[in-house]
Amino acid sequence: MLPTLSVLNLNGAVPQIAVAGAGMLIMLIDALFHRGSRRWAAYLALLGLAVALARVVESGASAETILDGALARDGLGMAFALVLIVAAALSVLVAMDYLRREEHERAEYYALILFATAGGLAMAMANDLVAVFIGLETLSISLYVLSAFFTGDAASREAALKYLLLGAFASAFFLYGIALLYGASGTTRLVEMGTAIRLAGTQADPLLWGGVALIIVGVGFKLALVPFHSWAPDVYQGAPTSVTAFMSVASKVAAFAALVRLLVVVLAPAAPLTSALLALLAVLTMTVGNILALAQDEVKRLLAYSSIAQAGYILVAAVAGEVGAAAVLFYLLGYAFTNLGAFAVVLAWSRRGEGRLPFSDLAGLGFRRPWTAAALSLFLLSLTGMPLTVGFVGKLYLFGAAVQAGWTWLAIVAVLNSVVSAFYYLRLVVIMYMREAEMPLALQRAGLALGVALAVCAAGVILLGLVPGVALDWARQAVAVVLS
Amino acid sequence: MSIDWIELIIVVVKALIVAFGLLIGFAYLTWFERRLVGRFQMRIGPNRVGPAGLLQPVADALKMFFKEDFVPGQADKPLFIMAPGIAMSAVLISFAVVPVGPSIRLFGREITLYLADVNVGMLVVIAVLSLGVYGIILGGWASNNKYSLLGGLRGAAQVISYELPYGLSLVGVFMLAGSLSLKDIVEAQARVPFIVLQPLAAIVFFFAAVAEANRSPFDLVEAENELVAGYHTEYSSIKFALYFMAEYISMIVASALMVTLFLGGWQGPFLPGIVWFFIKLVFMLFVFVWIRATWPRIRYDRLMAWSWKLLVPLSVANILVTAGALVLRDMGVF
Amino acid sequence: MVPADFLPILVLIIVAVGMSAIAIALSALLGPHKSTPTKLMPYESGMVPVGDARLRFSIRFFVVAILFILFDVEAIFFYPWAVYFRRLGLFALIQIVVFVGILFVGYFYAWRKGALEWE
Repeated sequence: MLPTLSVLNLNGAVPQIAVAGAGMLIMLIDALFHRGSRRWAAYLALLGLAVALARVVESGASAETILDGALARDGLGMAFALVLIVAAALSVLVAMDYLRREEHERAEYYALILFATAGGLAMAMANDLVAVFIGLETLSISLYVLSAFFTGDAASREAALKYLLLGAFASAFFLYGIALLYGASGTTRLVEMGTAIRLAGTQADPLLWGGVALIIVGVGFKLALVPFHSWAPDVYQGAPTSVTAFMSVASKVAAFAALVRLLVVVLAPAAPLTSALLALLAVLTMTVGNILALAQDEVKRLLAYSSIAQAGYILVAAVAGEVGAAAVLFYLLGYAFTNLGAFAVVLAWSRRGEGRLPFSDLAGLGFRRPWTAAALSLFLLSLTGMPLTVGFVGKLYLFGAAVQAGWTWLAIVAVLNSVVSAFYYLRLVVIMYMREAEMPLALQRAGLALGVALAVCAAGVILLGLVPGVALDWARQAVAVVLS
Repeated sequence: MSIDWIELIIVVVKALIVAFGLLIGFAYLTWFERRLVGRFQMRIGPNRVGPAGLLQPVADALKMFFKEDFVPGQADKPLFIMAPGIAMSAVLISFAVVPVGPSIRLFGREITLYLADVNVGMLVVIAVLSLGVYGIILGGWASNNKYSLLGGLRGAAQVISYELPYGLSLVGVFMLAGSLSLKDIVEAQARVPFIVLQPLAAIVFFFAAVAEANRSPFDLVEAENELVAGYHTEYSSIKFALYFMAEYISMIVASALMVTLFLGGWQGPFLPGIVWFFIKLVFMLFVFVWIRATWPRIRYDRLMAWSWKLLVPLSVANILVTAGALVLRDMGVF
Repeated sequence: MVPADFLPILVLIIVAVGMSAIAIALSALLGPHKSTPTKLMPYESGMVPVGDARLRFSIRFFVVAILFILFDVEAIFFYPWAVYFRRLGLFALIQIVVFVGILFVGYFYAWRKGALEWE
């Protein structure tokens, strides 16, 4: 049969098209009239993201495929897409004044954020391992370039090179995994692959297990799970802070979306083994991330290790498979607000031309910058999991899902880890409010865009923490509609 | 599976004919070029060795074999020796899928006048020809000579830059013929040669082919006045000759491809196919020499700009126009 | 299409490589060998060579190489498309217009940002 335009179902791919199209438009306009301020590029990026967001919200979930079956427009995909788009929009807001202050304001920044988002959207909605791979590469390559965006800065270049080398390695693992799964099932379409695996049973098929292991290694690199985390601290620290903020959220949302779909749609029959493997990774990731975070004396690097530990918490619910999907989604939504907010404060307070923010610089800021300090405290409390913040509700559901699926010991390990993490998160709050500054920091004025971003993040953390019901229902309904 | 020994022998004989045919073609192409350029420059050209200088190539070949063959002290020896072989082999192999005529009957057997007909024919040609650049860049690098290295680098940059219009200009032809097989492409030109339907593609392809063969006016890899002899500065004896052969045979291949892809290949009235093929081939070779005798060498930055800024967009535009026209025609608009 | 169709190409590969190898071997046997240290020196217009020849070369070459890889991969997509174009009709035309459009955003950008200039 000859293909026609209708099999593409382009209407469903509007989010991706809007995001990538805005990115290309930015490149074209920049190439044509490149002078003066690049603020228009940020606005154009926000516009593209707004169109995508509107499309995701209004179209709702329906289990149909787009682009001849490559992407799925189901609840799971659309929900993760929503989180990703919100995170991207916040990252654009956060970056606007920062880039100008650091004299690296260039239109490509926003184009690359949009391309990365488009890649992430493809991963979130992918119904085909090849689509996952293409999305992963689009996301990763954009992030490699973004990491090197401060071209004059050696740390930024080093971060980009490290990220590129290890990321390329991870992509190779992932690709081999796809090849093996294709060999085991005869298809790359997730739904058909799930059926094939269910029919064949999961008795020792080395192709299947090899493929699963390689794919988990590839995704593990992206999520910075221990023992595949070694790149993360250096890259998070060296990359421009606004990029770190975006990277720490977007790549986690996209990779978890792909992982959850893989676990639910394809690997459900193989659950006992994959869950055991993921549980092991979760324990390692939480513990190592938290212990190393304890030893840090600089906020950006601390947040890098904290991001590793957070991925471990989320993995606890992913272990539970289908039961945990809603919890993963809800936690990632909260995590997007929290982590982006925390990095936004780091970026507002750090010295010009320097990505680092040593603890000593925080001293006394609690009173000199009451609003920003209050926001940072809020984000840190949420990351700890204190009640009344989204972090608390999120963790409750993450660990609850694990208990529900019979992984009680894992939930206990996770709670213990949260207790350990409280020590380093709260230490920052203590320094801000209880220590006098030896050398007061010369603070820059935070711009309007950054203020808006911080306000949105803080509002998100509080609202989702106080009235989580609406969002939880949304998450539950979304993950219930999965193309399978 | 039993092997058809007679078929295999025929294949081997044909392969030898192709290889030696190209060698003899090379030898007499040098004679042809020197005589012609001589005329263009109001000289006579070589006319001492044999009647009308016809034995000159033989004398040259013998001389080459008896010249001292040395490897410079600092050179990377294995690469230095391999490089000219790579350059030469690549162009020889690329002729495998070029059809010089329809099949003929000989000793009661149907014998095809091409070595192989594969469905990815033109892809094979492009793949094999682009291996030739390894000969240039490895030779330039292995020599451990600054001129050689620069010549090799320039050669690599030039060849890959012109590879794009080279490949893209052919897409229109593939669309018209619906095949990558050179035999199918020739048969699709039974009524009209493609140069009429694809004039732009023919021009772009020709320029790209001249540049791919490193021929004047695109012979910057061996620009004597700046790079001595370019990538083969350090080469002597038969290794130098191999580079020389590679260049001339790639000229023959380029002409043969022009004939096959755009001038209707062996198709023509009255005369047998193979004769038509050779008439057209000699005409194209004449054009090559004519260009060399007429145009000065292009500047390097212009050379790169030509490909990237002119030929690439032109060839893509040609694809779109061809696609649009074909759709309109198939829909019955004209 | 069977692998046997490619057999003649394999035969020609053997013949071509063999011929090159024999030619190189013959000249090594036939020619004189009288090397002197001066003769073995790299040629540098008759001067004693200055420094090593393995120079660092212009970043332009890398840019061209990367652009080539990008565009050559795109070019390969055209081939199967071209062969099946007549059977796909309007659908294929729309596809290729979108494809070329995206490709040329990048091309145009690279041009305007100076990646195609050779100083």
